[in-house]
Amino acid sequence: MSSQTIEFFTHSYLKRFALPLSMIALAVLATILQPAFLAPKNLQDIFTQAAPLGIVVLGQAFVVLVRGLDLSVASLMATVAVIATAFNATSNAAIPVIFAVAIGFSALVGFTNGILVTKRNVSPFLATLAMMIVLQGLRFYYTQGAPAGSLPDGFRFLGTGRIGGIPVGLIGFLCLFTLLGWLLHKSEFGRKVYITGGNPISATLCGINSDRIIILCYVICSVMSGIAGLFLVGFVGTVDNWVGRGYELDSIVAVVIGGIALSGGVGTIWGAALGALILVLLFNIVIILGLPVQAQLIIKGVIIIFAAAMFVRVQKV
Amino acid sequence: MKWYSKMSRRIGNSLRRLHLDPSLLVVFVLLVIVLIAGFALSDRFGTVRNLMNVLEQSAALGFVSLGQSLVVLVGGIDLSVGAVVTASAVLMAAVVDSNPELMIPIIIVVLAFGTLIGYLNGYLTLKTGVHPLIVTIGTASVLNGLVLLYTLQPTGGVPFWFEEFAYGRIGPLPIAGVIMLICFAAVWYLLKYTTLGRSIYAVGGDEEAARLTGINSKRTSLFAYSACGFFVALAGAYYVSRTGVGDPRLGEPITLASITPVIVGGLLLGGGKGNVLGTLLGVFLISLLNNLLNYMNISTFIQWVVQGLIILFAVSIYASKVKKL
Repeated sequence: MSSQTIEFFTHSYLKRFALPLSMIALAVLATILQPAFLAPKNLQDIFTQAAPLGIVVLGQAFVVLVRGLDLSVASLMATVAVIATAFNATSNAAIPVIFAVAIGFSALVGFTNGILVTKRNVSPFLATLAMMIVLQGLRFYYTQGAPAGSLPDGFRFLGTGRIGGIPVGLIGFLCLFTLLGWLLHKSEFGRKVYITGGNPISATLCGINSDRIIILCYVICSVMSGIAGLFLVGFVGTVDNWVGRGYELDSIVAVVIGGIALSGGVGTIWGAALGALILVLLFNIVIILGLPVQAQLIIKGVIIIFAAAMFVRVQKV
Repeated sequence: MKWYSKMSRRIGNSLRRLHLDPSLLVVFVLLVIVLIAGFALSDRFGTVRNLMNVLEQSAALGFVSLGQSLVVLVGGIDLSVGAVVTASAVLMAAVVDSNPELMIPIIIVVLAFGTLIGYLNGYLTLKTGVHPLIVTIGTASVLNGLVLLYTLQPTGGVPFWFEEFAYGRIGPLPIAGVIMLICFAAVWYLLKYTTLGRSIYAVGGDEEAARLTGINSKRTSLFAYSACGFFVALAGAYYVSRTGVGDPRLGEPITLASITPVIVGGLLLGGGKGNVLGTLLGVFLISLLNNLLNYMNISTFIQWVVQGLIILFAVSIYASKVKKL
């Protein structure tokens, strides 16, 4: 890339608006290629699919901001799905109980990840990798490979329902987005997240308990994954042992596309959300163009390397 | 937790004084525990026949972990190994299926293909400055997409004689196991006694410092990534030889499995520290453990849990003050 191009992309406005612009460009491209893209049905599909991934990405963003990485998100989603169906509940009155248990369990998983990373000094990659394998083993052992059980009808509404044409998943995502956006950008905790991610040692010297911040970020990430797991099991309708498979890598891809640096301390919640949306848009474009599903993988691979390379360039200048 | 870390550090220090690599000792002790448990708990486990079978079956894990070790030593990580195994297996089985006379050339082509993908991973990492984790997720995604576009079912076939690679024996020794051991020995020699090998440690330890001492750090990293691709393609060939077909979903669990022996063997993610001997012991540990758990009729699912706990146990013993990756 020539220096002029770099200057062009690093111009402050473009830097700020690069993501929304590329998303709009994608949407325009999709509409030109296939006008059906703008059909309300398709848009609803996009948002219904984007919601669970988006929720995971919000959580993943917190972990990446403090120089971490969570590979256990997908495994946790499936585990939460198995837990939810294990109740075998039929009445909607059980939903709050299921939510409470699922979120409690997720928080425990996140707490364990955080303790391993901070107190035992295990690299995030390995700690969460081990957690992923352990959860997978426990889940399969419990279900003996063939999960059974049922969900109250209310769950289907979470996954596929609409309120005034707007998918419930999207509403859930927006609520969490607002909450976490406030937490990250307006609260004291959020400032501490950035300081810890930027440099944990100087954060400690500033009197921030950086271990606690990091542990909280892992808890947030796991709780988000748990919630996403519940939405996704509502969308799929039945439970299987691999609900959310691939989300661990997809969520990291989305975070990177969204401009959050893996080295920590740089990025916004907007970036995370847009990263997830761009990824889902790309998947959708592949589908509506009638390309084989496998093409998604190829496009995803090329985009992630390209996007990551772009951001490395932009941040270096 | 305090006494625990203090104790492990003290043990580590006293071992260092005795010129023993503490990380090797941990995996060695674990291996001995598994062997003793095996002899005690099952009368079939300790037979020469079973141990040779384990050696034969561990070849695939050995090849990929050996490749992964090299990349980890230069401070990288390769999450595309599963995809490369799949792609080389499918490529091999698909081409040879109708032209058995191409068997020998295709072995060379597949190994070159693996090396090329490894080189590409290294090149993209160095050229773009993007974390290898992301780059290799990207290449893996592209490779998987291409393979699945080509076929969704196991495809192709190989001539009968090629099965000798996976099942053949020289006396009691399995050919695949012997080839794996030779590869490990070669890499061990390379790392310990050649300039290139020492450069790999230097680059992994501190790339900038290595560059300033006149080491061509880019070429060293590229070598490590390419060699990784080579060994991973070899694992792909092994799988084809073992199953007789190219399975497009073969590689999925391999990527993360390849990392466990590396970590348990005491290599530090982030580079510059460790020994492939540790990886080899790690490969034996995982293979023997799974074999033993099979004999004890313990389900695969619990084997996963045990594997996860072993990773955690090992890394929290090795936990260093310097946190990388």
